[in-house]
Amino acid sequence: MTLTIDGHAVTVPKGTLIVEAAKLIGVEIPVFCYHHKLDPVGACRLCLVELSPGPPRAQTACTTPVAEGMTVRVTSPMAVKSRADILEFELTNHPLDCPVCDKGGECPLQDFTYRHGYPVSRVQEPRLHFAKPLPISDRIALDRERCVLCYRCTRYYDEVAWEQELTTNQRGVQSYIATQFDQPLQSVFSGNIIDLCPVGALTSRVWRFQSRPWDMDHTASVCSRCAVGCNVNLWERRGELMRVTARENVEIDDGWICDRGRFEYTHVNSPERLAQPRVQRRPAAWEEALSRIAAAIKGRGPRLGLSIPADITNEEAFLLARLLNGPLRGARVVMPGRTSLPGPPANQLAIKDLDGCRTIVVVAADVRADAPIVNLRVKKAVAKSGARLLTVNPELIDFDRHPGVEHVAYEPGHAAAAVRKLFDHPLLQEGPVGILYGDSAGAEDGAAIATAVAWLAKEIGAKVMPLYRATNERGVLALGILNGDSLDGCEYVFTWGQALAGGVPKGVRFLACWDDFARPYHDRAQVVIPAVTFAEDQGSYTNLEGRVQFLVPPLQPKPPLRQGWEVLQDLGLALGLGSDYLGIFQVQRDAAAAYPALAALAVPPAPAPPPAPVAMGAARP
Amino acid sequence: MTLSDHTLKEIRELPPKYPHIRSAVMPALDLVQEELGMLTQEAMTQVAQALQVDPGYVEGVATFYSLFHLEPVGKHHLYVCNNLSCQLRGAEELLTHIKESIGVSEYGQVSADGLFSVEPVECLGACEYAPMLRADHRFHYDLTPAKIDTLLKEWRGDREGKKARKEAHPRAGSH
Repeated sequence: MTLTIDGHAVTVPKGTLIVEAAKLIGVEIPVFCYHHKLDPVGACRLCLVELSPGPPRAQTACTTPVAEGMTVRVTSPMAVKSRADILEFELTNHPLDCPVCDKGGECPLQDFTYRHGYPVSRVQEPRLHFAKPLPISDRIALDRERCVLCYRCTRYYDEVAWEQELTTNQRGVQSYIATQFDQPLQSVFSGNIIDLCPVGALTSRVWRFQSRPWDMDHTASVCSRCAVGCNVNLWERRGELMRVTARENVEIDDGWICDRGRFEYTHVNSPERLAQPRVQRRPAAWEEALSRIAAAIKGRGPRLGLSIPADITNEEAFLLARLLNGPLRGARVVMPGRTSLPGPPANQLAIKDLDGCRTIVVVAADVRADAPIVNLRVKKAVAKSGARLLTVNPELIDFDRHPGVEHVAYEPGHAAAAVRKLFDHPLLQEGPVGILYGDSAGAEDGAAIATAVAWLAKEIGAKVMPLYRATNERGVLALGILNGDSLDGCEYVFTWGQALAGGVPKGVRFLACWDDFARPYHDRAQVVIPAVTFAEDQGSYTNLEGRVQFLVPPLQPKPPLRQGWEVLQDLGLALGLGSDYLGIFQVQRDAAAAYPALAALAVPPAPAPPPAPVAMGAARP
Repeated sequence: MTLSDHTLKEIRELPPKYPHIRSAVMPALDLVQEELGMLTQEAMTQVAQALQVDPGYVEGVATFYSLFHLEPVGKHHLYVCNNLSCQLRGAEELLTHIKESIGVSEYGQVSADGLFSVEPVECLGACEYAPMLRADHRFHYDLTPAKIDTLLKEWRGDREGKKARKEAHPRAGSH
């Protein structure tokens, strides 16, 4: 359909809303309540425009779909005045405390008032007052005076997260946002309301008063907390990681991240972090530390045990695989926190394909705990595309609270048998079917479930998605270096990152640790070397659907800290392996050539998408 | 305060009567208020569980409507109309008189004996009988301070009061 907006012709599909059509050509229609991931509601009235043909009054652009030949006037005197009047209303109770508000600098209310509002306020009456800031969880503060009641936060909880922890109490001018019976928010998805809030009403307590948006720089990186691989922006100021926000990638996260990804970053700036290699607890140079490790672990075969971190990058795993194929051949390698699921399936279901599934089956997994953002994607498929959901778990999981979700229970330990019985389940007779499976937090045999799911998928023509728990579990599985669950019996142990839950086995003859923080068992280590975090490391992760995504570190490792690939490269030299990588790109090139699963490493990351067109026609009355 | 099993049973039978489960929240809260006189947090949580919605949604509905009580009310809660017709015929004086008679200083406050509380409400649709009030699902018409005294006496269990009211005003009664 073709319409004109302020004289600019634009062609969009039927059903597109006027606000979305205007975005395409860079005409700014200010909005508070409208958000492209939430259903339109038309609550704030800020998007008023003049339509012809149409009634002789301003109409909301966020609830009106386009029509053929429609003429939209965003900058006509009537539209401009309507919006300015609405903004004046929005500000009648606003405290105007921008100088002490964390939203200042990236605040739509501030920006829109500047571009579309009246320059001075006529309000002399007293404003509504509330106790503020109100902590509504450990990580989020609510300021009801700043709230413009757009209901984005409550609608998000209702439509997207299906956990109505936030609600609107009272009515009319007395309405305010409140948590359920004033209890703290519990949801793992709560942080998204900070991004959603178009004013400074919902702010992060973790980032509170830490920095200003214009003081920070940010990089487009990937979350390192789980295997979903949500896209994030990492915000840096003066060498410190200040905050993490969502970066929309419709194919993976759809614009949401979970609280683990959003708030678990403060350790990066901790003064407690290990910074210096140590040999027998005295500071040492890298060369000495690495040669001590090399001398102790070389050629030990199965007597050497290695524990690798969940967020090991593909590049690091490739360099480690080289060592394991050479001087460290035969060593036992474990990855704490991973599932017992085997390598990638044949018919992989992509996260974005969940939207198109007619039926989604969740087997032996609490998706909210293992892959939080996939959980939201399943909810979206059910709520927006009418997908049918079948959960196969011993207990009810959070999906089951939704009416219409079918639940199949099984005796713990018999998940694979339950999967095979689904063969003639009525819901699976109509495709496309997507099957998500886990190992029930380690309670089930992941290999057996994977085999049963693969059989079922082949029989009914379904696609499957293994829900790996560890960040780069899939990438490491592709290299085939994991070969154990325990380091018991190993005499020489090299732990990288958090060791296994059982700790380091007693009676080891040599222990080396590579870690970002001191841990109790480091006291027994002959060598301790410092590790970098996701905010300083270069490399890539393979997410649970097999997509390779690159970390873009906002921080430089503070010397003598070194990135993981550099340390492994030098450890290789110390072990006598000819190795001359000068940069990570060479590592990526070799890894791509050696392993088909890592072929994407040779492809440079896609350039950042061009910025949205600049808003035209600031329309201040 | 929690709900009795029979109320919960009635609540569970509500959803099929409505297009959405959420539509059943209001009649459910009505049933709760009928039993407990007010909506407690426990009761709202029970309603939420019975209807498989979030307690937060139930709370939002409950706080939206002023006719749902979130604080305790008296055994007889008087809704006194104070819209135009009643106002012109002395609703304000009646409200003051009631407050004094039951010994409370604020609307919504419960009298010491736990029997009464009073609040002004918007039009109840009986302007021809102004001023009027609603209590225990009954309307009382053409009120005067004297009639209020009789009603209060009756509710306090005074049989004389009931007899006196019947003789003096045969028309007043249920609506």
